[in-house]
Amino acid sequence: MQLRDFFSLRSIQLDMVAKTKDEALRELVGYLNIDRRSREILFKMLKRREKLGSTGVGRGIAIPHCRSLVIKRLRVAFGRKPEGLDFDAIDGQPVHYIFLIVAPPIEVSNQYLPVLGKIAQFSKGSGAPSALAEVETASEFMDLLGAGGS
Amino acid sequence: MHRQLGLLLEIQDLKMQRNGLADGSLADLESGVFDIEIADAIKSLEEKVEQLEGRLDRRIVARYRRIARTASRVVVPVINGICYGCFVAVARASAVEADRNSRVETCEQCGCFLYHVD
Repeated sequence: MQLRDFFSLRSIQLDMVAKTKDEALRELVGYLNIDRRSREILFKMLKRREKLGSTGVGRGIAIPHCRSLVIKRLRVAFGRKPEGLDFDAIDGQPVHYIFLIVAPPIEVSNQYLPVLGKIAQFSKGSGAPSALAEVETASEFMDLLGAGGS
Repeated sequence: MHRQLGLLLEIQDLKMQRNGLADGSLADLESGVFDIEIADAIKSLEEKVEQLEGRLDRRIVARYRRIARTASRVVVPVINGICYGCFVAVARASAVEADRNSRVETCEQCGCFLYHVD
């Protein structure tokens, strides 16, 4: 499967409202369309993961991720914050592009690690930040992933 | 959701994070891409698990420890009425209840704590 196949148009937000790291995590979890209590648990788990070390990998990109029982299948979301926000990123720079990846403890097709790896690889590409800055619609974002993130 | 079930879920998820870090592939990604110190991360997660276990009610913790001795997962999801600990259908009454996570429930078959996933 291609990376783009894991995203839905509803899980892509090119103009995030969040102004802080916590708000960004909450906002992205909100795009997954799960109940309030599950959102809270997922948020806690993502925060717990962030405490181990920021998932802000540098160059304006963050990839928060975790596994949790509250999720039935692998889910991903993408958020863009043109102004940037403080994510305690490795390079100390603000984060503009956030890929959220969450998965259940057990997956039939075991996609969590490959998807995490693919997004990490996509993010390392020299043109990734500028390409992500240029997309104007969720469909264009999907096309970008199709072109460079397969 | 029942407060104790929420705690159990948190503990289970943290244990999963801990076990994930002990696994080669995730550990490689976490240290290589995200610059995580694996040993420190595992220690931190184990401390948090211990702290949360201390907040479980006496009766729940006794059962929790009993299950943990034999099962790799103490809390398991119920998806479409099936317990994912033993893959047996759970009792219908609990499967159709309105807020199915409002009480702490265990599987009659495998004994694991149940979390109903919508």
